[in-house]
Amino acid sequence: MAAMMQSAMPTSEPGYSFSQAPQSVAGGPRQHGFYPYTDNGGTTLGITGSDFAVLAGDTRSTSGYNINSRYAPKLFKIGGTGSANEGARIVLSVVGFAADGNALKERLDTVVKMYKFQHNKEMSVHACAQRLSHILYNKRFFPYYVHAILGGLDENGVGALYSYDPVGSYERETCRSAGAASSLITPFLDNQVNLKNQYDPTSGSGLEKVTKAPQPLSRQTVEELVTDSFTSAAERQIEVGDGLQMFIITKDGIEEKYMELKKD
Amino acid sequence: MNHFPVGWGRPRDDVYGAYNPSYLPQSHGGTQANPITHTQSPIVTGTSVLAIKYKDGVVIAADNLASYGSLARFTDVKRLKQFNRKAVVGFGGDVSDMQYLDRLLNSLDVEENYGGDAPAESGPHMSAKNLHAYLSKVMYKRRSDFNPLWNAMLVAGLDESDKPFLAYADLLGTTYSSPSLATGFGAHLAQPIMRRAVPNEAASRELSKEQAVECIKECMKVLFYRDARSMPVYSIAVIDGKGVDLKEDEKLENQSWAFAEQIRGYGTQTV
Amino acid sequence: MFIARSEYDRGINTFSPEGRLFQVEYSLEAIKLGSTAIGIQTSEGVVLGVEKRVTSTLLETSSVEKIVEIDKHIGCAISGLQADSRTLIEHARVTSQSHAFNYAEPLSVESCTQSICDLALRFGEGAEGEESIMSRPFGVALLIGGWDEDGPSLYHAEPSGTFYRYDAKAIGSGSEGAQAELVNEYHKSLTLQEAETLTLRTLKQVMEEKLDAKNVQLSSITKDKGFRIYSDEEMKECVGKLEGN
Repeated sequence: MAAMMQSAMPTSEPGYSFSQAPQSVAGGPRQHGFYPYTDNGGTTLGITGSDFAVLAGDTRSTSGYNINSRYAPKLFKIGGTGSANEGARIVLSVVGFAADGNALKERLDTVVKMYKFQHNKEMSVHACAQRLSHILYNKRFFPYYVHAILGGLDENGVGALYSYDPVGSYERETCRSAGAASSLITPFLDNQVNLKNQYDPTSGSGLEKVTKAPQPLSRQTVEELVTDSFTSAAERQIEVGDGLQMFIITKDGIEEKYMELKKD
Repeated sequence: MNHFPVGWGRPRDDVYGAYNPSYLPQSHGGTQANPITHTQSPIVTGTSVLAIKYKDGVVIAADNLASYGSLARFTDVKRLKQFNRKAVVGFGGDVSDMQYLDRLLNSLDVEENYGGDAPAESGPHMSAKNLHAYLSKVMYKRRSDFNPLWNAMLVAGLDESDKPFLAYADLLGTTYSSPSLATGFGAHLAQPIMRRAVPNEAASRELSKEQAVECIKECMKVLFYRDARSMPVYSIAVIDGKGVDLKEDEKLENQSWAFAEQIRGYGTQTV
Repeated sequence: MFIARSEYDRGINTFSPEGRLFQVEYSLEAIKLGSTAIGIQTSEGVVLGVEKRVTSTLLETSSVEKIVEIDKHIGCAISGLQADSRTLIEHARVTSQSHAFNYAEPLSVESCTQSICDLALRFGEGAEGEESIMSRPFGVALLIGGWDEDGPSLYHAEPSGTFYRYDAKAIGSGSEGAQAELVNEYHKSLTLQEAETLTLRTLKQVMEEKLDAKNVQLSSITKDKGFRIYSDEEMKECVGKLEGN
C-alpha cells in the first residue's frame, strides 16, 4: 500500500504515460484540410489593331454549377486618378480565381499610381507589363491563380497586348484568349486574325497554294470578332454568359461597351 | 491516491508498466512517422443566409440554428449581426469564426465612432460597401495565411450614397454582388426563386419592401422544407434609409407539408 | 556669422531658434573645400568636367576618380568627401538597375537625382522603430548629367537633400568664380565641343595648379554614346584646343 502511495507522489514521475509536450511545435509545419483556390469561370479576350486595343470579358461569376453573379467584371482600368481610374490608359483583364484577380488588380493599380507620383509621368504599357510579370513571379510559390491579359497603346500609339501565365511568364501578342472558353475561341482567332489555314484563292493548288498574310484589322472587324467569339462561347461553355464587357483603348482614352449574353 | 488528475482512469504504471505509446504518432510521444494530420474544417455551423435588394434597401434573413454535424446543437443562435444603422452582416459557416468576426467588427465600430457624438442622420458612417471591403480583405488575408475563417457571409445595407448594397464574401476571399444573393443550400434552393423576383438591377429598383420580405419568407420556408440543417425560427432584417429593423425570433408561417405525402421511394414504403 | 551657434550645432536633427540645421549647413561648407566640378547641358548632350588635385608628382592621376557612371545614360561628377559619394553612387546605381529590371525602361535623370536626395536626408537618430543608417549628413555634392526620354538634363544635388536642374553649374572650391564665368558664357546654342572647351576654360581660371591633360577629367553623356569618360588621347586633344596650352 505504501509502495503504491509512493509511486503516486507528486515528486515522482507522473503515473500518466502520454507525452505532455505541446502537441504542435510553434513554428513547426502545419497542415490544413483547406484548399485556398477556386475557379470562378469566365473567359477573356484581347485583340489589337494599328491604333487601338480591345479587351473583352464575360461578366458571369460561377462556383461549380452555380451562378454567383451575372455582373462581376473581369476587366479593370489600371492607373489614372482615384478609385474610378479617370484618365487611365491601361486595362488589365484577369480570369481564373477571382479573389486573386482582385488582389492582383489592386496591387498593379497601386504600383502604377505610385509610379506617376515618383516619376512625374504616365507609365507605359511596356513598363507596366514588365512590372506585372514581376508581381506574378514574386508569388510563384503561392501563385495568383489567374490568366492575366494587359492591354494599351505602346509609345508609337500602336495597340499593345501582353498575356501572362499565373507565374509571370509573358509575351506581347496581337491576340489572345484566356479562361474557360479559350480552347473554343483560340482556334477561331487563329483563323480569323492570324489567317491560319487561309490561302489565296487565285494561287494554284497543292504545294502551289499561297498562305494569306495577316493584316492589321479595323476596329469594327475586331469588335465583330469579339462579339461572335463570346456569343459562340456562351452557346457551348456553361461558365460563359450573362454579359459581355468590352474596353476599347484608343489615343482618346478607354471606351466601354456592354452587351447582353445568354443567361442559361 | 494519484494526485495527478490526468492520470485518473488510466492504466497505472506501477501495476501495468509504462503505457506503450509506440503506435502513436511522434507528436504524441509515439514512434509512428505519420505527420500531424490536422484537418481544418468547420465544427459548429450555420446554414444558408439569404438577401434581396429592393427599391429602398435590402432584406436579409438566416435561421437561428447552429448545427454540430447533423445534430441541431443550438437553436437560438442569432446569425444576423447589425454593424451600424447602415449595415447588417449575415453569417453562414463556422459559428466560432462568426463570433470572432463579430468581436472584430464591434471593435472596428468602436474605433470608427468613439471620437464623435451619437451618429447623426448623415454622419460619417461606415457604409455597407466599406464594411464589405474590410471584411473581404480580412477573409482574403486569412486564406492567404492558410488559416481561413470558415464562413460565407452576406453584407447587406446602404452604400456611401445611401443606395441599396448587397455583396458576398467567403473563406477564400471571393467576393461578388448581385440583386439577390444566397449562401450554402440557399444558392441552390432559394436563389432561383429570388431571381424570379429580381432578374436584374432594374427589377430590384422596382421591387417594394413588402414584395421583398414576402419573397425572403417564402424562400426561408422552402429551405426549411428541404435543408435538413435548418429550423423554422429565423432572424430577418430590413435595412433602408430609416435604419435597421432586425427581428430575431420570427417563425415560419403557413407551412404546408402536403407535398411530403407525394414523396415516394424512401424507407419501407411499398406503394 | 559664427555667433549664437553654441548649442544647436550638436544634435544633427535639432533646429536652432532661428530655424537652422547647423550640421547640414556645415556639410555645405565641406563641399566648398572640394575640388571644382562643372557641368554644362547642351542640346547635343551634357558635359561634366572636374579638376583632379594632383598633390604629388608620384600620384597616379588615373586613380583619382571624380567622375563616375551611374548607368549607361547617367553620369555623375563629385565634389567634397569622395568616400561619402560611394554610398550615394552605389544607391543610385542600384536604383537605376532595379528600375530597369522592374519596368524594362531606363530610369529618368530626375528620378535618379530624387533617389539620391532621398538617401541624403536619412541621417540622425531616426524615428521610432526605423533604424537610421548615418550619423551625419553627407559631405559631398553631385552634378548628375544624363540623357532620358526628355533629352539631356543636368541636376545638382546637395547634402541638404534639395536638388535643382541647371543649364550649367559649378560646385566645389572654385564654384563662385566658375559660376560667374558660366553665367556670362552660357547660351542655349552651345555645341558639345564648345561646352567641352568652356568647361576646361572655366576650370583653368579657377584652378590653383596649371591646367594640363593630367589634372582635369572630362566626360559626356549623349544620346548615341551614352555616358563616356574621355580617354587620355581625347583629353590631350581637348586641352590642346585651349588657347595658351
